[in-house]
Amino acid sequence: MLTINLFNGLVYGALLIIMCSGLALIYGLRRVVNFAHGSLYMMGAYLGYTIAFNSNFWVALVAAPAIMACLGVLLDRYGFRLLQDRDPLTVVLVTFGLLLVIEDMVQTIWGKSNLSVAAPQALAFSVDLAGTPVPAYRIGVIVVGFCVAVGLTLWLRYSKIGLFVRAASTDPVTTSMQGVNTDLLSAGVVGLGTALAGLAGVVAAPFLSLSPSMSADVIIDSFVVVVIGGLGSLAGAFIAAMLLGMVQAIGAVYLPDTAVLLPFVFMVFILIWKPSGFAGSRT
Amino acid sequence: MTFYRSLLVSIIALLLGLAVLNFVTSSTLLSLFTQAIIYAVFALGIGVLLKQNGMVSFGHALYFGSAGYLMGIMLQLQWASAETLIFYTLFIITLVGLLFGLIIVRVPGVAFGMLTLAIGQMFYLTASRARGFTGGADGMNIDWPSTLFGFSVSQILKPSVIFMISWTTLIIVIFLVSCLLRSRFGAITEAVRDNEERARFIGISTLLPRAAIYSLSALISGIAGVLSALNTGFVSPENLHWSLSGMTLMMVVVGGFKVLWGPALGAVVYFMFKDILGDYATHWMTIFGVVLIAVIVFSPTGIAGAIVGLMSGKPSVGNKPAQGH
Amino acid sequence: MTEYVLQTEDVAIHYGGVKAVDGVDLTLSKGQIRGLIGPNGSGKSTVIDAITGRRMLTRGKVVLRGEDVSEMGVVERRKRGLSRSFQRTSIFGQMLVGKQVELASHKMGVEDSYADTKAVLEELDLWKFAQVEAQDLGYGEQRRLDLALALVGRPSVLLLDEPMAGLSVKESLDLAQHLKQLTSSWDVSVLLVEHDMDVVFSISDVVTVFELGRVISTGEPAKVRSDPRVREAYLGSTA
Repeated sequence: MLTINLFNGLVYGALLIIMCSGLALIYGLRRVVNFAHGSLYMMGAYLGYTIAFNSNFWVALVAAPAIMACLGVLLDRYGFRLLQDRDPLTVVLVTFGLLLVIEDMVQTIWGKSNLSVAAPQALAFSVDLAGTPVPAYRIGVIVVGFCVAVGLTLWLRYSKIGLFVRAASTDPVTTSMQGVNTDLLSAGVVGLGTALAGLAGVVAAPFLSLSPSMSADVIIDSFVVVVIGGLGSLAGAFIAAMLLGMVQAIGAVYLPDTAVLLPFVFMVFILIWKPSGFAGSRT
Repeated sequence: MTFYRSLLVSIIALLLGLAVLNFVTSSTLLSLFTQAIIYAVFALGIGVLLKQNGMVSFGHALYFGSAGYLMGIMLQLQWASAETLIFYTLFIITLVGLLFGLIIVRVPGVAFGMLTLAIGQMFYLTASRARGFTGGADGMNIDWPSTLFGFSVSQILKPSVIFMISWTTLIIVIFLVSCLLRSRFGAITEAVRDNEERARFIGISTLLPRAAIYSLSALISGIAGVLSALNTGFVSPENLHWSLSGMTLMMVVVGGFKVLWGPALGAVVYFMFKDILGDYATHWMTIFGVVLIAVIVFSPTGIAGAIVGLMSGKPSVGNKPAQGH
Repeated sequence: MTEYVLQTEDVAIHYGGVKAVDGVDLTLSKGQIRGLIGPNGSGKSTVIDAITGRRMLTRGKVVLRGEDVSEMGVVERRKRGLSRSFQRTSIFGQMLVGKQVELASHKMGVEDSYADTKAVLEELDLWKFAQVEAQDLGYGEQRRLDLALALVGRPSVLLLDEPMAGLSVKESLDLAQHLKQLTSSWDVSVLLVEHDMDVVFSISDVVTVFELGRVISTGEPAKVRSDPRVREAYLGSTA
């Protein structure tokens, strides 16, 4: 019982890594707490469903995030960029409005009933893990999560663009003065962030069914992860995502009622003691 | 607006309410109005926090829902008469608001919003799971007695009566709050909102005024919660969920929070969208979302701000607060 | 032994390896105007921050009318009659001019805050803007409002941080004369940080010169002006 729960905790943690890295990237560069992130995840999932329906899962795995990336670029260009001089709370409220629009659109196009996506044939088998059979697909999810974490870390640390992104996250004014096109960079990073949300959606679809409430289910956990990990910090988000997955898994077995409160208690403590990561204003 | 003009406008508003009753006989329409008004009071609570403190709360459903739960639980336990329990509920809400406020108003910017979100969700989760106390995810019925303040509850719950009670509550709350904000206390909170550092340099201790406004906003949301408990006779964890806070916050933003009655207007607009548009367009929510974004981008002071701006001949975009009540 | 209205004893402020202020002794007598001058970064504004409680002292103490206020916060010092204006205009943007000044006056415990407000606003030529929102004022008017917020309530010690910043030559000289008049008629003691040499030397009773967080010269304007250390550090040869 415990093994399968721990394993599922790992899977959910991996999913959160994929999603929250997008959220952290967007915050790091645009200082926006993207309330619409959960609905972008949902959109990715539903898009993946339709694409998989018409071709196969693997195409969806690439195409859906690609579409979401384009949307992200548009969101940055016509949303975040134009509002960047406003009060940060203004943009947050706009993302909330976006959430409403996206959720409604998804329900209109795909309906309100739950949909399911089958895991791809290649992974539709079970693997024996310490005596318990686990779907190979879920192991695949953990692998994807791991790849995203490692890939992003390496990219940010060692690539030239990664350097620009880190610089722009710390000091956008100076960075642009150094000749880096911060607007283009931001559009790219936001596009990457939304693509990651979409990827998370596609990846999640085979093991969490698609429902109109899926964005709400995951957005709060995402915020908890990003706050506990330190807003804007990828490494922090990775660790927090895993922790959250684990806590929820273990808690579900032993202390279902209190375990679910723990992440929030941590979040509250961190926000009261060290809200500095959240100041929302650039120095 | 001076005190006397405020009083006059309030009396006219009350009379308007009676006039509505005269012309509208459909009970479904009146019920819709009542719902809108209750949310208008709730929105007013969130709006006061935004107007006087400049703080955005995503967790005020906490006070709205808790008011209902407090009434439900205390009535079940039969601790005192329903009338007394209403006062106890509001008193507890105000006190909790003050205690929370003293801690959380120190947190700046978006962090404050996230904090209210987290606290609100904690209460939501607790209520969803505490089957013994709260009926869990199914919610609980609120056992109102047969008479309240001397009137029979079945009379009170008639659409026209509950409408008038809610409307009167809204008008009275707006009037009292506007008097409060016109006072020295109002000036102090405005100063703290505009420039906290300078406020200290002119001798204002800034924690208490902000916490007091937070507590007031909690109380107002609690009043809406009590009205809702009366109106529906039921409370469920959904009344504590952050999406409810978020929705109501949208009403505040669309209506405009620089003016005291803006949020109430926003609530009315929301329900109009929901009911009228809802009949013609199943995606009224998308339209509302687009309207919300449009308002935020083009008229940050909301519909109320645009109206006031038109009336005084000043442009509505920008940081120009109107003279509230 | 003269009773100083304000005194700093060996005040130092160090942060992050920077010694912004490093052992400063200042005195201010009743009704005196002391000018603080020095190059950018010499610590003048930081000293004001230290005296008003905006920054914590690394060392030393601040004595206000014989009372050690070093451990007190901003609000407590204000209530004891210590007031300041800001280099970067710090006012209440969305409040009416009259309302915010009156609030400041009231918080200082003035009985007739309306009269006090009127007097100060008239002196600074702002009375006609009493019903205007602060953010609708022009730059110079906003600077004067910043000053009004500091002047109201009859402070005993007034710390002015570059009050002429951004003003034209004429505006600066006008303001300087206003200040001189006000402070002498109300018996306010003033510590004035300024870049504008003409202003400082024209209205100050005494001048203190800063460099790298320390005092390098202090005394009457004429004496300071001709001090070779000061010329070298700050004034160059065109004093």
